Amino acid sequence: MKGLVSTGWKGPVKFRMPTAENLVPIRLDIQFEGQRYKDAFTWNPSDPDNEVVIFAKRTVKDLKLPYAFVTQIAQSIQSQLSDFRAYEGQDMYTGEKIIPIKLDLRVNQTLIKDQFLWDLNNFESDPEEFARTLCKDLGVEDPEVGPAVAFAIREQLYEIAIQSVASARESRLSKKGRRGSDHGSASKASGLSMDLMKLFSFKSSVVRKRKDLDVYEPVVDLLTSEEVDALEAREERHAR
Amino acid sequence: MAMKAPDSGGSGEILPITPSLSETTSGVAAALQSPQPPSSSSDIDTIYVPSYSRWFSWTDINDCEVRSLPEFFDSRSSSKNPKFYLYLRNSIIKQYRDDHPRKISFTDVRRTLVSDVVSIRRVFDFLDSWGLINYTSSASAKPLKWDEKEAGKSAGDAASEPSTTVKETAKRICNGCKSICSIACFACDKYDLTLCARCYVRSNYRVGINSSEFKRVEISEESKIQWSEKEILLLLEAVMHYGDDWKKVAPHVTGRTEKDCVSQFVKLPFGEQFVKESDFEDGLEAFDQIKGSAIPESEGIDKDGFSPNKRMKLTPLADASNPIMAQAAFLSALAGTKVAEAAARAAVTALSDVDEADKNASGDPNRQETNAAPSGETTRNDSERAWADAKSLIEKEEQEVEVAIKETVEVEMKKIRDRIVHFEKLDLEMERSRKQLEEMKNLLFVDQLNIFFHTRKARTSEDRVEC
Repeated sequence: MKGLVSTGWKGPVKFRMPTAENLVPIRLDIQFEGQRYKDAFTWNPSDPDNEVVIFAKRTVKDLKLPYAFVTQIAQSIQSQLSDFRAYEGQDMYTGEKIIPIKLDLRVNQTLIKDQFLWDLNNFESDPEEFARTLCKDLGVEDPEVGPAVAFAIREQLYEIAIQSVASARESRLSKKGRRGSDHGSASKASGLSMDLMKLFSFKSSVVRKRKDLDVYEPVVDLLTSEEVDALEAREERHAR
Repeated sequence: MAMKAPDSGGSGEILPITPSLSETTSGVAAALQSPQPPSSSSDIDTIYVPSYSRWFSWTDINDCEVRSLPEFFDSRSSSKNPKFYLYLRNSIIKQYRDDHPRKISFTDVRRTLVSDVVSIRRVFDFLDSWGLINYTSSASAKPLKWDEKEAGKSAGDAASEPSTTVKETAKRICNGCKSICSIACFACDKYDLTLCARCYVRSNYRVGINSSEFKRVEISEESKIQWSEKEILLLLEAVMHYGDDWKKVAPHVTGRTEKDCVSQFVKLPFGEQFVKESDFEDGLEAFDQIKGSAIPESEGIDKDGFSPNKRMKLTPLADASNPIMAQAAFLSALAGTKVAEAAARAAVTALSDVDEADKNASGDPNRQETNAAPSGETTRNDSERAWADAKSLIEKEEQEVEVAIKETVEVEMKKIRDRIVHFEKLDLEMERSRKQLEEMKNLLFVDQLNIFFHTRKARTSEDRVEC
């Protein structure tokens, strides 16, 4: 990851994705006239709004969907973008947060399972580059895996960012006027973060414990088409 | 130049292009003269890139890219940098070429690239508009035939030397441009080559072969199906009624397309009568003018060898069966009507001048021979008289000039003489005044002496007195 890890307490930061590029993960799941369109991609919220319609039209044309999808897609994207923008004005506390990011996704015939630690304070982090490197290192041939990985990371970071905003609001409401150290406990209370100090204290070593090794190792599986079908059927059942 | 599709392993690497690939694609891809896309019926493995995108290179970024997509180059954000742009661009192009000739859509690309979708779209649109992706033709219309053959021809030019294998199948393939010969082709039995009309005109054959070695071979499919008398009659009727409007002629002749009507009409033996002689000359001259002296011999040989054929096939200029006229039509279309007109006119005047000069040259000796006795004398006298007059005039002029010179000289001499006289007078004056001066000096000296003697006398007398 790029950038330096800050060690001191950070004041409240304006909400943004804790990555170098402030990109929003957008998920689409539209059903219309018996056709289902599922997609996931990243969007730059600083792009002008007309891009949404352009993108929707392009996608509908490329995928040969009925024209009615254009408005639906555009609306969905717009609503997610406006949600994101709603958060933007608010504060979030970041603190000393190192969080584990989990990957468990299936793209076409490739299955990826992974877990790694991510520093939320590193505002120079780049999920896209991480995804590219991951696919390159693991020799993933399917080019659609990269974007899916980047999207998954971003989604999780987004979730956590939203949570930190919520917790910041809570702490401000509950402990009016009192700033400082309390934010640390508030963030820890979210249960996801790990305490840097505890992790890297002189008592324990930096080397990961053996039992954790399997958890933190990436696993890539190439499925056959029958397995893919079986998995898809199971997913559908779960969704219903 | 046409580029071979890079056959990299695996269809989906997210990597930027590796150096091994850049070897095969390091040459710049260029080649088409016209902005029309080439026919996809030619080689599927070769990828055409328009000549206005010649700047493209896998490892470099051109100025036009910086200008069109400034977001990657203005260092506003650390991850939108040129390296990222290269990754996007090269991945898109590679993905397109892997799947060539299928057109690639934005969504295909978007799904495989790790980036925000709007950036991908911008790069995609940029590449699309510059013809670096999705540059294939979807339909081939008749006017595009020029460009197809052009494209095929230039691709053949740059790709490799014409191969010597001839495919003797029902569809003949041209050795020069590797495209299917449709209307007419030229076969050389000596070296076993087949060239399409375009390549033949362009002399795209090996060095040792003369253009006269080629024989014209008609491939037109309609020649297999003979025109019945009825159809020919209908055709002639239609042409008489509608003239050059083949769109109306075609339905009149039931069951034949425009192209067939045109080619059939042209093949008719009395096609000559419908062709104006001057047009033929003009056209060829214009062609020569426009082309310059590029291929003089072959044109000459062509003209001689094929003139009877050509005369028959002149009216429908768009018909590709006549390569020369077709070439002329194409070139004049390229150059514009005004230019072609001017060229043709210039050619005609040059031609007529040449004719006149010839006539003049042949005329003078003729005149002197035939009109020897009667007019010869008179003309000679006349000329002599004229000559004598001229001579006398010249003499007169000379004399006048001499007189003028004499006068001038005399005047000058007089001037000099006057000056001399003047100076002599001055001299005399000088002498006189000098003499006067001398006299005065003498007098003065005498006076001085006198005074001196007197004083001396006075002194001596004083001295005697004192003593």
